[in-house]
Amino acid sequence: MNGNGKLILALPSKGRLMELTNAALAAVGLAPTRTGSARGYKGEIASLPGVEVNFVSSSEITQFLKSGAVHLGITGEDLVREAMADADQRVRFLRRCGFGHADVIVAVPACWIDVQRMADLEEMAPGYRRAHGHQMRVATKYMNLARRFFTQRSVTSYRIVESLGATEGAPAAGLAELVVDITTTGATLKANGLRVLDDGIILKSEANLIASNAAPWTPELKAIEDALLAQFGA
Amino acid sequence: MPPETALKFEALEAQAQRLMATFTRAGYEHVAPAIIQPAGLFLDVVGESLRARTYVFTDPEGEELCLRPDLTVPTCRLHLARHPSGDTPARYCYNGSAFRYQPGGATSAHPREFRQAGIESFGAADREQADAGVAAVIVEALRSAGLSRFRLRIGDLGLFSALLGALPMPPRWRRRLRHHFLRPEAFRTALARLTSAEALQVQGLPPALVDRLDPGKPHEAIPAIEDYLDKSGIELIGTRTLAEIAERLLAEAADARETPLAAEHAALIESYVAVRGPAKSAAQKIADLMRDRGVNLTEALDAFRRRLTLIEAAGIDLSDAAFSAEFGRNLEYYTGFVFEIVVPELGPRSPVAGGGRYDSLLAEVGAATNVPAVGSCIHTERLLAALDGGAS
Repeated sequence: MNGNGKLILALPSKGRLMELTNAALAAVGLAPTRTGSARGYKGEIASLPGVEVNFVSSSEITQFLKSGAVHLGITGEDLVREAMADADQRVRFLRRCGFGHADVIVAVPACWIDVQRMADLEEMAPGYRRAHGHQMRVATKYMNLARRFFTQRSVTSYRIVESLGATEGAPAAGLAELVVDITTTGATLKANGLRVLDDGIILKSEANLIASNAAPWTPELKAIEDALLAQFGA
Repeated sequence: MPPETALKFEALEAQAQRLMATFTRAGYEHVAPAIIQPAGLFLDVVGESLRARTYVFTDPEGEELCLRPDLTVPTCRLHLARHPSGDTPARYCYNGSAFRYQPGGATSAHPREFRQAGIESFGAADREQADAGVAAVIVEALRSAGLSRFRLRIGDLGLFSALLGALPMPPRWRRRLRHHFLRPEAFRTALARLTSAEALQVQGLPPALVDRLDPGKPHEAIPAIEDYLDKSGIELIGTRTLAEIAERLLAEAADARETPLAAEHAALIESYVAVRGPAKSAAQKIADLMRDRGVNLTEALDAFRRRLTLIEAAGIDLSDAAFSAEFGRNLEYYTGFVFEIVVPELGPRSPVAGGGRYDSLLAEVGAATNVPAVGSCIHTERLLAALDGGAS
């Protein structure tokens, strides 16, 4: 990851987020191109020779921003805030990208008509536990965001069940009672018989251009960041 | 954090021998519960603050296990394995490792792996006697290790329960306030809601359904809710049954018809929660507060006074002991007397010992009924650090 004095920019290497990122950069004259083979993981931006592009997975972008292995990265705010409890100390959110929108939300079965707000969860918890012999379970891949949000809302009588896919199906499958998941239109939640709590929006996330505070910054690199930002737009 | 040195290991071992000798001499049986515990049971009974700090893992067969974050629950399980009904009186002591994730990084005062030396007393009918006995043995053990300068901080969740019991309100409101006591924010909100007729109305449901929820006719609620779900095109999914949803809606409907909690009683609860000061004058302070409002807490206050007398009779000076009505709020499974022992070298956030009464824990772990239980443990690394720092 040695940039030889270059500013290292980590971009998503696959999927929809990669396509949207490349398109957005191209639209402002910052189109990244891969160097070496087309499947290579390094790239450059013709108009900004001081930048070296690394194409990596979204979760790696977060880790590299945390460790300082890259200077800048484009990835979802949800992933960064999940991986870093103290994200605002470790990174700077420079620009919202206007794509990759996803709300991290708390959703319960729509049939829980007695539960509208977070506070209702704590109210129903003792009865749930009496009836079932265990705490209500929250399926999520956002364990840290969920925990922090529940604590803030004084909800403590629950257990987290880690879910790495199809989280929205967990309540119907009896694997959990409620979920913390991402949604864009709400259609998937609805199809799974779930409803977002009135005050259950944890984070309105989208892709962000993010700078690492742990990366080795020099005045020269900072100047490259400024140039990139100027071209990137507001 | 520096790696453990052989010297510190030997010092801890020598200290543990002195602690354990005190415990066994006092009639506590030395036991060694398992380090690896079933995660599910553990995570259901420990509070959320500890739950998020428990190391959980899955074994090759997919069973969810954890490294014990304390030794109290494992000792309860050991007791129930021997005496399934749980109510056979028994006294245990232990010295062993516990494991906790420390957010923001482990430090020497808050290590992720540490040794607890402690005692648990199950099934003793005289609660104050047992409370005082446990505190006395812990203090004696600390002294045997060389500690001479320390302070007691005490609380009594039994007084809080007694206060709720003395004020006129439906039993479910008492349960609710007791449940929320651990969460100050939620507690204030719940208390405010119970004093307002408007806030007690069923919210967020169509009036047509609310009208059909009559606490006097519970059997009519389920068809009414079924009807409503049908018409709204909502499917019943998940583990929570229609009966459970109905039960809670009926309780809400009953709340809406209830006389709100008197504002002066809510204020009394808040004044009580704010009581703090020297332990020896706390009972009088609370008695004065209650007398002004015509509330009778004599029995609970007598128990509180009797416990203090018994602790002093065991040779513990309580002249600088502090009482806080709020103390115990962050310790999920305690139900009565709670105490901590703090030393100036480490400060109030790193007590060298702590414990209390937890009469409902054995039932939660599997006993047929609630069993009187009280226990305490010493944070042995902190004790050693305090002694190294000149606390002897």
